[in-house]
Amino acid sequence: MRSTHASKLTGAALLVLLSGTGCSDPLADPLPHGNASEAAPVRGGTLRLGNFGDIRTLDPAASSDQLGDEAVQLLFSGLVDFDAKGAVFTDLAEKIDRSEDGLAYTFTLRTGVRFHDGDELTADDVKRSVERSLHPDSPNPVGSFFENIAGVIEYTQRKSEHISGVTVDGRYVVTFHLLRSDATFLPLLALHALRPVCKSGGDRYSDSWAPCGTGPFKLLPGGWDRGRSLTLVRHDAYFKPDMPRLDAVTFLYNVNIVTERFKFESGEIDAIRDLTQADTVRFLADPRWKALGAYEPAREIHGESMNTEMAPFDNVEVRRAVAAAIDRDHLRLLRAANVIVSAHPVPPDVPGFNANVPTQTYDYQAALEHMKRAGYPYDPKTGEGGYPHRISYTAYKQGFSEFAAQAVQQDLAKIGIRIDIKIVSFATYLSTTHRRHVSAISPQGWSQDYPDASDFYESLFLSRSINEEDTGNTSFYKNPELDDLLDKAHHELDPQKRQASYDHAEAILRDDAPWAFTHSYRWFDVHQPYVHGLAPHATWVWDIQNTWLDRATAAISRRSVISEVSFGSLFTTREKSDR
Amino acid sequence: MKYFLGRFAWAMFVVWSVVSITFFVESVLPSDPARMVAGAQARPADVDRIRTQLGLDRPVWTRYAIFMRRLVHLAPRANANEDPKTHAGCVSLGVLHFDLGRSYEQRRPVATILGERLPRTVALALCAVFVQLTIGLFSGVIAALRKGRALDTTVVAASLLGVSAPTFVLGLILQFVFGHKLRWLPLDGFGSTFAEHAKSVVLPALTLGIFGAAYYTRLIRDEMIVLMQEDYVRTARAKGAGTFRIVLVHALRNALMPLATVVALDLGALVGGAIVTESLFRWPGLGALSVTALVDRDGPVVMGTVIVTSCAIVLANLIADAAYFTLDPRIRKT
Repeated sequence: MRSTHASKLTGAALLVLLSGTGCSDPLADPLPHGNASEAAPVRGGTLRLGNFGDIRTLDPAASSDQLGDEAVQLLFSGLVDFDAKGAVFTDLAEKIDRSEDGLAYTFTLRTGVRFHDGDELTADDVKRSVERSLHPDSPNPVGSFFENIAGVIEYTQRKSEHISGVTVDGRYVVTFHLLRSDATFLPLLALHALRPVCKSGGDRYSDSWAPCGTGPFKLLPGGWDRGRSLTLVRHDAYFKPDMPRLDAVTFLYNVNIVTERFKFESGEIDAIRDLTQADTVRFLADPRWKALGAYEPAREIHGESMNTEMAPFDNVEVRRAVAAAIDRDHLRLLRAANVIVSAHPVPPDVPGFNANVPTQTYDYQAALEHMKRAGYPYDPKTGEGGYPHRISYTAYKQGFSEFAAQAVQQDLAKIGIRIDIKIVSFATYLSTTHRRHVSAISPQGWSQDYPDASDFYESLFLSRSINEEDTGNTSFYKNPELDDLLDKAHHELDPQKRQASYDHAEAILRDDAPWAFTHSYRWFDVHQPYVHGLAPHATWVWDIQNTWLDRATAAISRRSVISEVSFGSLFTTREKSDR
Repeated sequence: MKYFLGRFAWAMFVVWSVVSITFFVESVLPSDPARMVAGAQARPADVDRIRTQLGLDRPVWTRYAIFMRRLVHLAPRANANEDPKTHAGCVSLGVLHFDLGRSYEQRRPVATILGERLPRTVALALCAVFVQLTIGLFSGVIAALRKGRALDTTVVAASLLGVSAPTFVLGLILQFVFGHKLRWLPLDGFGSTFAEHAKSVVLPALTLGIFGAAYYTRLIRDEMIVLMQEDYVRTARAKGAGTFRIVLVHALRNALMPLATVVALDLGALVGGAIVTESLFRWPGLGALSVTALVDRDGPVVMGTVIVTSCAIVLANLIADAAYFTLDPRIRKT
């Protein structure tokens, strides 16, 4: 009797407490800004950003994750870089001369560019940094991207001491010689891997090196508290006049996603990206905040990868049936604030995307017809027929992947394909679905390494990307016609001819359906009103270099002070603001 | 003495077994640490190169032999012609060196990483146990003395609430109320000064402490109710001893016997890392580290945290044995 009574008490108390937490808590007012005008940016201040994850390294020769890239981008400038839209522009290089055959790129460096340690950047530093990054002892996760530079293969095989295809032609002139003309060379060079590092970085990668480059911010001793925070301060000798405007940028790492929102509302962090689905909807629904938010460009594609070497997906009609059976709108509704339906092999905001090319679409009757042609007719009324065996489907332990798996399971059941969902850790998922003859169908995605269609097509559908383990081509799809098209596009320097090749490639993939392309994902970012110029960047998440702050300090400190009415505000629906 | 030597030998065997089993389980998991280091989208050639650099291309038995040889070895002799870097990541204990290897992800000696994290976890564990003991002892004794009355019912209900609430719910509520709404305490983090550390530890310690205190309350209450019926308590009462003296000197001392074991085991488990609480409050301890290491398949760090955790639990058991020895004269005699 007593325990029943106690249980009721417990339940009631929990309910009361939970009703006061995030579920019903209204969003705070945006913090006010000062009086600076957009035309006259204010210099100074520290931008504070929170992150759910953590970074592993700040060395451009080893950086492999998006979070790390955010910081590496601030520490190291490159010969070329990506602008906010993803187009390549000259950064440390003053000009680029491309030879007529497209096999040599000569970069003339800006003079007077200073490293964080005060040394001047020269062409020797560029060559040394390239060799440091591509050395076989360096843990460079993208080293193989640069095998088209003459001499890199010999260098990585330890057959030569230096890379013959990178030549110093003057104190400020360096030339890259390619084996074949390459439309992806400049986008690849704009990645972080080959960016110049200080002489203290040496000729070879070292774990203990303190990051030092020519970027707009520098790392001081003690600035990186691993697992907790990273503070970068302005590089006063940065080569762009009056840039950057911020004194410092602080990243907080491993912040719980709910705590991050609390910190953002109180002004402990100035912008937020890691939002729960519920919070994204709340920010979007609140006109005060919606105006301060923006969607990042869509940089990833998702779909169902079907193993063309395993039954029943070795039958193109079954693959077409799957592509027609999945109602993409079901997936969108699972996370409507972030998911957009897109059945293209390239995300909507990546160069090479063409909205005019017809895509796979949901068509239930067509799906049934494809099943019939495949020899597995299915009768939806009786539920009889279809593929006679159950198929294992491996997804990973993360909210959306789990929910999407169930939506796909239900859609495929309607055409007689019955899948058993197996949820595993991300590491196990990667290992099992990227191994030959293991996974018949699995959810797959690809996030851009660099903003170009080749990154998606070549990684996922070239027959050369097939491997026994760690395969990039998870559908093990082989099509010589597609291989030729993609190779041609890779080496084609005329943008229009390239686009035509990719449009043709997309048509082939749509019909052969090694993937059922389903959706793309966009992050929604919000910032406080006093943060200016912090726009989503097509490649580096944020455009921090142009950011400046205009805080109304009095108002912020007022929010930070413990108020005598704070207890009263605990259970109110909305705090009236006098701001 | 013989008893403790035997216990110590058994403890060493337990630690070795746990470490060995973990090593092999970790090695046969169907996932690839090199892939996790290189990134989900790295090309096979790059993953292969990183696998070789990490030594993961060797057979598992070879890796085990190398790991065990490095784990405990002798310090280099003064005149030894050995590269000092070889022992740079070692922890010294006299002539013995302990080398836990280098983290795949952080590319630093695991001993260095654990050296940063362990004191913070120990501090949190001690604070949490302090909260548990303070609340548990006080409320348990009060409930026992007011058995069957409203106060007892309230304490029992509150303890049920504490035991039932998962730490992530409790932590989130505390964070919301005291960090977000009232702004009395930091939402999370560790701080840079002693005062900031002290402020930062309050919420995670309360989260762990309230959860544990609920259990201690029930334990102490039940023990005290039984002990208060004992003959020696009745005798003391007949002799005119006051309630305070009876409770504190006679009953509570005996009630501490089962509590000592529980506290020691709790402390051992907490030193292994309070995974959820540390992650929620961004407390930079072993719990948060072990989660990240497991997700990233960072084998050396996983092994390091397992070694620390198993040593802590084994040590806690030894302490519990010692506590029994001190608290119960009957054990000393046997």
